[in-house]
Amino acid sequence: MQLAFWGVRGSIPTPGPATVRYGGNTSCVSLRPSGGGLIVLDCGTGARNLGMSLMDGAFGQGSGEASILLSHAHWDHIQGFPFFVPLYQPGNRFRIFGRAKSSAMLEGILEGQMAPQYFPVQTLKNMGAAIEISAVEEGVPFQVAGCTVRARTNPHGRAGALAFRIEEAGRTVVYASDAGYGTGGPPAASIDLYRGADVLIHDSTYTPEDGRRYAGRGYSSVEDAVGAAVAGGVRRLVLTHYDQDYTDADVDALCARGRRLLDERGGRSIELAPAVEGTTLTI
Amino acid sequence: MRVRFWGVRGSLPVPGPKTERYGGNTSCVEVRSAAGTRVVVDAGTGIRKLGKEICSDGDGGPSDVHLLISHTHWDHIQGLPYFSPLYARDNKLSVYARKRDDLHLQAVFASQTDDPYFPVPFSEVQAELAFRELSDAAKFEIADVKVACARLNHPYIATAYRLTADGASVVYVSDTAPFTDILFEDEFVEHPPLPGAELPDRDRQKLQKMREGVVRLCEDADLVIYDTMFTADDYRRMPHYGHSRPSDAVDVCRDAGARRLVLFHHAPERTDAEVDAILGQTRAQAACIAGGLEVSAAFEGLEVELGRG
Repeated sequence: MQLAFWGVRGSIPTPGPATVRYGGNTSCVSLRPSGGGLIVLDCGTGARNLGMSLMDGAFGQGSGEASILLSHAHWDHIQGFPFFVPLYQPGNRFRIFGRAKSSAMLEGILEGQMAPQYFPVQTLKNMGAAIEISAVEEGVPFQVAGCTVRARTNPHGRAGALAFRIEEAGRTVVYASDAGYGTGGPPAASIDLYRGADVLIHDSTYTPEDGRRYAGRGYSSVEDAVGAAVAGGVRRLVLTHYDQDYTDADVDALCARGRRLLDERGGRSIELAPAVEGTTLTI
Repeated sequence: MRVRFWGVRGSLPVPGPKTERYGGNTSCVEVRSAAGTRVVVDAGTGIRKLGKEICSDGDGGPSDVHLLISHTHWDHIQGLPYFSPLYARDNKLSVYARKRDDLHLQAVFASQTDDPYFPVPFSEVQAELAFRELSDAAKFEIADVKVACARLNHPYIATAYRLTADGASVVYVSDTAPFTDILFEDEFVEHPPLPGAELPDRDRQKLQKMREGVVRLCEDADLVIYDTMFTADDYRRMPHYGHSRPSDAVDVCRDAGARRLVLFHHAPERTDAEVDAILGQTRAQAACIAGGLEVSAAFEGLEVELGRG
């Protein structure tokens, strides 16, 4: 399996010299299972670069297929969708999974972003590719690209965000962005979802101090991410969704802090890596 | 007056090393008169930093911002939920945009921050908000700043603004297609017209009048900020997306007798080096204009002083 990071920033894209190393695009990760196919995790502005990189292959010929898993519909997780070029190539096929009470409601949420007052293309139906939209049933495993996916909702401020566990032939990746557990730490069902993962990509928006200051916003601090990784007994923790005001130097410090916290809290054997836009990770 | 550029990009923000010099934030321009009146045109992601600056201003007093919206496509409004003066009591924000028959301006902004898209609903904004809907050729005053409008040629329709204060004028013309091949109204033009296709007479006349309105708005302007997102090749491939080429902007400025043109709304894929090259070519075109036309390319942080103070 190979992961690639296209957007690692939370809330809003942050162009500028202070964020060039880690990257300023909002959330988007791609996963290529070893058996082929493509899974896209969230569609922040990073999805634009992913989309352009795909046009050299089957997606440029109108014979591409991919599944898009959306954790939730806050802007920083869907705002790259209208700019994901393979969606405009007739013949390509996409399955979209996300969090809503019904598939029709999820379609309505995505249509809301495309509406004429906001975007010139005006509707998903003008995009060209075949798009099938399904609301995820929590806890019910489903198959995409030869992988088994299980989802569960993490608390996220007043809303919730899906975390996804993706397994292929004994390899496991978990994507848990936008998780605000509160003082009790991750609930048992979340820990169960993370358990034994080869890679846990986890919300690490804040330093522990900022995390306490903005507790109601529904994000994790690096301390919360470390807590989730240790509780789940994962092999590797990847930090992501950095706050929009953090410079590259701030994220350097955030990661160093994460390493120290892992060592202090029983996670010495857990590898730690920051998500960096434009990099890949092979499992 | 002082004109400052906070976001110069079109379509969507593009962070990264290739856009570092011109900047990757979407459209936002601030105009401040010598008397201190603050008018902002468009609320792309560039408005986030402006908001931080306003909140950390020395005097600490409440802010009063007048926000003119060219149109409500994402790249012109997506920064507003991150404009920090919204979340402090006593601040004022007045939002102006073209009146539509089908949708009230306030509804457009309210649904931007609705569940499930944004965690803080519009009802929790603490600043005092006012919405004012404008006719196509509206003229009005914001304290010492005179504002005039003209309709643009863009899908779902956009508005150009001329701001006059301190004896100087700046005109913001974004987004617009040239006034020649397609008349844009509310509908998405699904397929571009075939090359050389004849326009219906009615459309041609309407476009001609629209261009005259824009030229009049730019007449003798000290500064014209113009949507030049497309190269000639982009325009050939995508005339139905509603953006202009630098040559279109130069022609309008020439006809209007404007003094300075700022290329604006750079395409997301345009690297810094490519913007440099486009600027060079456009300066060469402008050099042929009698009376002269100064040309620059907008970058984040560009400041232009006009008129007195």
